[in-house]
Amino acid sequence: MKFKTIAAATLAMATVVGMCACGSSNSAKDENTITFWHNATAGTGKQYWEDMAAAFEKKTGVKVEIQAIQNEDFEGKLTTAMQDPSSGPDVYMALGGAKTKDMIDAGQTMDLTDKISDTVKNQMASALKSFTYDDKVYGVPVTVQPGGIWYSKDLFEQAGIDEVPTTFSELKSDIKKLRDAGIEPIALGGKDAWPAGHWYYWLSLRECSTDAYAKGVNEKDFSDSCWTKAAEDLQELLDMDAFNEGFLTTTAQQGASSSAGLLANHKAAMELMGTWEPGVVKDLTPDKTAMADLGFFAFPDVDGGKGEKGALMGAATGFSVNPEAPQAAVDFVNFMAEKDNQEEYATAFSTIPASEEAMDSVTDDNLKQIIEAMSNSDDMQLWMDTALGGNIGNALNSGVVNLLSGQGTAADIVKAMEDAAAKG
Amino acid sequence: MATQNNNGATPQARRVKSMSDGKARRNIEIFILSAPAILLFACFVILPIILGAYYGFYQWKGYGSPSQTGKFVGFQNYVTALKDPSFQAAILHTFEVVIGSLVIQAPLAILFALLLNQKFKGRGLIRTLIFVPYVVSEVIVGTGWSLLLQKKGAINEILANFGVDGPDWLADPKIAMFTLLLLISWKYIGFAVILMLAGMQSIPEELYEAARVDGAGFWQMQKSITLPLLAPTLRIWVFLSVIGSLQLFDLVYIVWGKYVSTTAGVSTMATYMVREGRGAGNYGYGSAVALIIFVISLVIALTYQKYVLNRDLDGAVTEQKEAKKRTAKRAKEARRLEAAATASEVK
Repeated sequence: MKFKTIAAATLAMATVVGMCACGSSNSAKDENTITFWHNATAGTGKQYWEDMAAAFEKKTGVKVEIQAIQNEDFEGKLTTAMQDPSSGPDVYMALGGAKTKDMIDAGQTMDLTDKISDTVKNQMASALKSFTYDDKVYGVPVTVQPGGIWYSKDLFEQAGIDEVPTTFSELKSDIKKLRDAGIEPIALGGKDAWPAGHWYYWLSLRECSTDAYAKGVNEKDFSDSCWTKAAEDLQELLDMDAFNEGFLTTTAQQGASSSAGLLANHKAAMELMGTWEPGVVKDLTPDKTAMADLGFFAFPDVDGGKGEKGALMGAATGFSVNPEAPQAAVDFVNFMAEKDNQEEYATAFSTIPASEEAMDSVTDDNLKQIIEAMSNSDDMQLWMDTALGGNIGNALNSGVVNLLSGQGTAADIVKAMEDAAAKG
Repeated sequence: MATQNNNGATPQARRVKSMSDGKARRNIEIFILSAPAILLFACFVILPIILGAYYGFYQWKGYGSPSQTGKFVGFQNYVTALKDPSFQAAILHTFEVVIGSLVIQAPLAILFALLLNQKFKGRGLIRTLIFVPYVVSEVIVGTGWSLLLQKKGAINEILANFGVDGPDWLADPKIAMFTLLLLISWKYIGFAVILMLAGMQSIPEELYEAARVDGAGFWQMQKSITLPLLAPTLRIWVFLSVIGSLQLFDLVYIVWGKYVSTTAGVSTMATYMVREGRGAGNYGYGSAVALIIFVISLVIALTYQKYVLNRDLDGAVTEQKEAKKRTAKRAKEARRLEAAATASEVK
């Protein structure tokens, strides 16, 4: 009897301890296996990473364990896994901007300054700036995705617009023409907030001088009047009824009634978006083929704005390395940057590669136009909310939504960003 | 002494020993059987609460440990949260939902249950139909309704056929709260009805028969028999409904999103926490908000238990004393009966 009791107690304790122990770190790192986290969970993108990992294994004998994590979950999972770098992934998609900075400060990202290959240094010089903090490199970029306005050529023609607008006042008169022709001018995914935020980011990039913009993003100093001016420009668009009806409850990318869906189905004439737009629109057209009359033009200049002409804003996606990862992980990110891989990447994701020598492989007309716009501008700014970091970026996006729903003024956006500093 | 004990303990002593043996064994058994549950509870409920309170003292981005990468700010996060007008608005909205769901759902559920308690053709089908929304997952319900209720969604298209210009059901702050209450009622009324129905069926049929003999009408019977005897069920349902409303998150998050819910006036405590905590990457601040929500919910739950539910829950935390009293009374009663029985035997 007694023996049984003791045995049962031991078993119970073992079970409980076993339960609590799960989730602790895996055993010592294996030099010939690396774990790799990315966010392409479907389609050609997912296939690309699998093929590339196989090629890397063939070349070096290092096995790559891939985990594809849904984009919206990515940040949360990465943050949790990196609490203990020894159990985190060896190579992971960098979050960019202030979030990457936070990870660097927490010692969760490897300094790659002396480890990147010459290919990365020479061919990716421009994109590399997005991963450089205090003159040190913390990631290898794979793609640059500047934004701009995507439009339906047919609808523009219907409204009698012959040339795409190059200034803000031209844009406004085109909006009026579209409205008069019974066409919704701009599709806006207000429910997700960031697409609404983008209008404000671009307008401030045009309104603010390079110095004032840098001061705002880097030092969180929004005292320059250009920040309020940008919000007033946005208010003008709102007042002239430029956005689709019910834009506050429109999502960005989900289904035919989303903003991308409205553009894809010719229910609205334009949308301000990143380079990923053709891919998203393709899935939302009635027959799931590329939208034939999709066009692109750069964000117009604002009359009297102090911003650099043709300045671009966008995302640079890249990969960082865990500070405790083996040498193979560094080889892997350098391997990503090689010309062949970059060309295949650009094809698989229908995007622009970070490597300049691979850019010639882009055949899509719209993407070619963006590449041309890139050669006209010195630098590409990161999306403003990314650059400002989650805290202030979140407040900025909320402020823009408030303005668009008629519950805030231009000055409130700036105030919301200042208030946010108290929370983080 | 020891020798004597070993050799020939008196029957009395042996009994004491085996009794204490039994007691120890029972304690071990209790320990073994409850240890896993207690450990799980401690690991996944108590510990997170303590950690949340601890994180709440830091300005912390979630990278590394708060003591290294965060900044200790004392109670500042808690103060900022309580002073934030948009959190105050979220608390107000949550309480509007708590009250609104009770006021709308209780009478409706009782009426439906009364109806479904009668015998008629197709009763089983209607019972199933009314319960279906409750079974469907929140995400599906939310996605469906958010598409239907858009400014240019199906519902407004139908209204347009009748020449009615439908309102913006979701984004207009004047009507968004009513839309939300409508959705909640539609989704959760099935649960309330099933609960009430079960309560009604546990009422003995004889009572109604007796009332009928006395000449009571249908409504009088419901008023004097059904409602009073349904009270315990109603009290439990109110408790579950209040707790559910306090935690309301998924429906609002999916239908409105974390930003528009604020401008439309339907943000809840939980959507605020997600927006300002996880959305903004302020894990310290978010933890402080989480703790405030926990305290609010706990106070409400305990108050309700103490003043309302104590009649139904034997041995609930808040009324251990009364339970003890009742046990003592019961024991006394038993002794009295036993004594009476012995007495009658003697006679």
